[in-house]
Amino acid sequence: MSSVHGDASKAIEVRNVWKVFGQGSPDEAIALAKAGTTRQDIITSTDQTVAVRDVSFSVARGETFVVMGLSGSGKSTLIRCLSRLIEPTSGEVLLNGEDLLAMNADQLREVRRGKISMVFQHFGLFPHRKVIDNIAYGLEVQKVDKATRHARATEVLNIVGLDGWADRYPQQLSGGMQQRVGLARALAVDPEILLFDEPFSALDPLIRKEMQDELIRLQKSMQRTIIFITHDFAEALRLGDRIAIMKDGSFDQVGTPEEIVSNPATPYVREFVNDVPRAKVLSVRSVTVAGNAPAGARTVNASSRIETVIPMLLERDEAIQVLDESGSAIGVVNRHNVASMLQAEQR
Amino acid sequence: MMKRYRTVLLAVLALLMGLQIAGSGGFPKSWNIHLSDPINTWQSWIRSNRSHHWLFTYLLNPITSVVEFGLNKTEAFISWLPWFIPAIIVFAVIARTGKWIVASFAAFAVIYPGIVGVWPQSIETISLMAVSVVISVIIGVPLGVWTALNKRVESFLRPILDAMQTVPATVYLIPIVLLFGIGKVPAAIATVVYALPPMVRLTSLGIQQVPHSAIEAGQMFGATKRQILARIQLPLALPSIIAGINQTVMMALGIVVIATLVGAGGLGQEIMQTVRQLSPGRGLVVSLAVVSVAFVLDRVSLALVRNPGSTQHKFSRQQWLAFTGALVAATIVGRLLGWHEFPFSWGTSFADPVDTGVIWFRDTFSFITHPFNDFIVREVLVRSQKLLNNSLSWQFIVVAASAIVYVIAGWKLSLTTAIGIVLIGLTGRWPDAVDTLSQTLVAVLISIVIALPIGIWLGRRPRAEAALSPILDSLQTIPPLIYAIPFVMIFTVGPVPGVIAAVVYSIPPGIRLTSLGIRQVNAESIEAAQTFGATDRQVLWGVRIPLAMPSIILAINQMVMMVLAMAIIAGMVGGGGLGYRSIEALTGPNKGLGAEVGIAIVIMATILDRLTQSTAKRLQAPAAM
Repeated sequence: MSSVHGDASKAIEVRNVWKVFGQGSPDEAIALAKAGTTRQDIITSTDQTVAVRDVSFSVARGETFVVMGLSGSGKSTLIRCLSRLIEPTSGEVLLNGEDLLAMNADQLREVRRGKISMVFQHFGLFPHRKVIDNIAYGLEVQKVDKATRHARATEVLNIVGLDGWADRYPQQLSGGMQQRVGLARALAVDPEILLFDEPFSALDPLIRKEMQDELIRLQKSMQRTIIFITHDFAEALRLGDRIAIMKDGSFDQVGTPEEIVSNPATPYVREFVNDVPRAKVLSVRSVTVAGNAPAGARTVNASSRIETVIPMLLERDEAIQVLDESGSAIGVVNRHNVASMLQAEQR
Repeated sequence: MMKRYRTVLLAVLALLMGLQIAGSGGFPKSWNIHLSDPINTWQSWIRSNRSHHWLFTYLLNPITSVVEFGLNKTEAFISWLPWFIPAIIVFAVIARTGKWIVASFAAFAVIYPGIVGVWPQSIETISLMAVSVVISVIIGVPLGVWTALNKRVESFLRPILDAMQTVPATVYLIPIVLLFGIGKVPAAIATVVYALPPMVRLTSLGIQQVPHSAIEAGQMFGATKRQILARIQLPLALPSIIAGINQTVMMALGIVVIATLVGAGGLGQEIMQTVRQLSPGRGLVVSLAVVSVAFVLDRVSLALVRNPGSTQHKFSRQQWLAFTGALVAATIVGRLLGWHEFPFSWGTSFADPVDTGVIWFRDTFSFITHPFNDFIVREVLVRSQKLLNNSLSWQFIVVAASAIVYVIAGWKLSLTTAIGIVLIGLTGRWPDAVDTLSQTLVAVLISIVIALPIGIWLGRRPRAEAALSPILDSLQTIPPLIYAIPFVMIFTVGPVPGVIAAVVYSIPPGIRLTSLGIRQVNAESIEAAQTFGATDRQVLWGVRIPLAMPSIILAINQMVMMVLAMAIIAGMVGGGGLGYRSIEALTGPNKGLGAEVGIAIVIMATILDRLTQSTAKRLQAPAAM
């Protein structure tokens, strides 16, 4: 634990994490993977599965980092490796510079009690406990007295909008409400880092959207560090400050939604990007051209989404002045730029 | 391919013929390995060491004292209570769940034994069961948790639990009697041994069925293993654990009668008496007392588990205090007024009409029952015994049986069968085993002929099934021996009442499983057949029955096992065979005989069980692929 290193601005740094499932030593499977053997071929020759393959990334404080992948991509294994619900085969997970993987059971338990919390795909609620006792569970484990933990639980219950449901049992609630309880339970211990394991995938599309909005709203006021797993690319784009696209145990690409949509790194990533309406993701900056609009022209912020200028350009076919964060002009956007971007999307 | 089969078949037939000509009928008596000797040696060792060996003075005697203390105190306490107090408590516990009618029934069931004049005996039985069940829970729950959490413990314990359930109670009572003597304590210990397996199994199942996500959530919040076990796994396994207690109670009731053989007393003794007096009416009255005890304990244990989120009424602290206070006051008043003994008894007035009815039936229908009895005994049982004991050589039987098993279940079980049959011969119990086997097969055949059509019919009529199910349930709670009494009266002592009792005993689960199988056939398969214009008959024979086959075979499996269990009981009503020998061993001086009988029965049970199970599995296999 003496090796305090890493970047202080990062809440969590993940370095070269591997997870190999199967009997016996993982060395051969890792060697094969490093040599570029595909996952299927490794299964055939060693009977072991390389679920997470040399994954490294870091997440800044207050950032929402989304890992998007299809089933079998290793994303659920990865998020479990970050809290050691699954023991990684090798690698480092640094929390405030301390390696989680080097901790003994007591130290790990302390970290789980205070620093990291998790929201589960199928909610993982305790059916034998009332909503309030589900939420207070993390505090109960820490032996916080009943009055204090119930007070805190009630507080969080209100934050997620479930006031009045404290004395129900989980199965009396709808799926969306159950996941609010799951979220409240994670928030109750006031963690630095929140892990979300496909939390909304079991919900109906409308409820899912509502929960995403709720999370965005909460995150605005809470500013927690979030690692969010999903198989839904649209969800990743909506929630993520940065997104990692995961395939066969490793990341194909990591970047902001805009970077990924405007510049997919691999054919695999492009397949997801193809279905995305770019105007909703790309910023005005990406279609800005050099030049100056006449004085008195309308202005737009460079980081706004393209979709915001479309009605303006339809209203009047005049170039719009693009301003950066500090308010200085960086160029213009006009009907032609936007139309050719939209046409490019068609191809 | 066909040609090769024919060659093999011919070779086997030739071998069989050779064996028949060269071999001898029956199993050579001189090959007896005298398995009973070590047991008898052990028995005399126990006799001479009982008073001073450390095993007795430091281990078994203290156990005896503790169990005896528990039994006596429980019995004394219940007898001390005014008679109406237990009924009030039972009523309150069940009424709390809002089921007033059930609560009233249960309260009546509590006083029923008093009404029919077996109040003290039922207190004796309830105390025995309460103590046995408590011991079973104390041992069984931790064992169950341990097996659930530790694979190695599980693979070690599973076969032992299986064996504990197949060995007939009369057989394992023997070592218990040897170690603990005769009386209530060995009866309680035997009950514990018999009732323990479901407790362990259901606890283990409950723990294993806790959703992984709940445990992960616990880990994620930094709960220790102990916290996860105490606050997540055990509470979530509670319904299953309660089901285990429930099963344990039922199992314990199941050997109430057999426990009498080692001096348990109570209702079991009353039942044995009615068997001796050949009074089916009295038997029915007393066994209804056993049924009512079962009913009460079942309902109370169900009422004690609270479903999370159910809307049932909960007592506030004040209400609890008021209720307990009233109860204590009622007890004191009852004691002061001397109301602890049950105030009245209608005795046998229920019993007489039943006895009269059965006697009327016997006399009126003797023109049917006597020929039937003679036919089964002379034409079926005696003939098949002659065939297996004298006409066919034992070598022929071994090879033929393993050949048949090979065709049905493959070489592994075939080998087990061959070794098993030879082993039965070596124990010297060949004739008894043949006797039991022929009775078992006859009973199973009759059961199949009755249960399967009824089950198939009921499977498509859920309403009829719902109407029948309380009857089927209560048939399963009546102590098996009771079934035999009216048939003994009708058919006189011999193998036939045992066979018929076994049929009656085994039919309910047979019907249940068959109709379940028919009902659970995938609705889409049936609709598919109907869209192709299949008639009802075609749907039944072409879709329902084939798809329900694994379930039907399991029904047959259950019936075989239950008939076999009954074969032991049949020994008490003149059924002969292994059952009779086991009772002879238990009550007589030759305890070693019990080991021989036990091994023979376990072998028979194992082969028949595996044979039917593997058939069911084989029928299921194509569906799995």
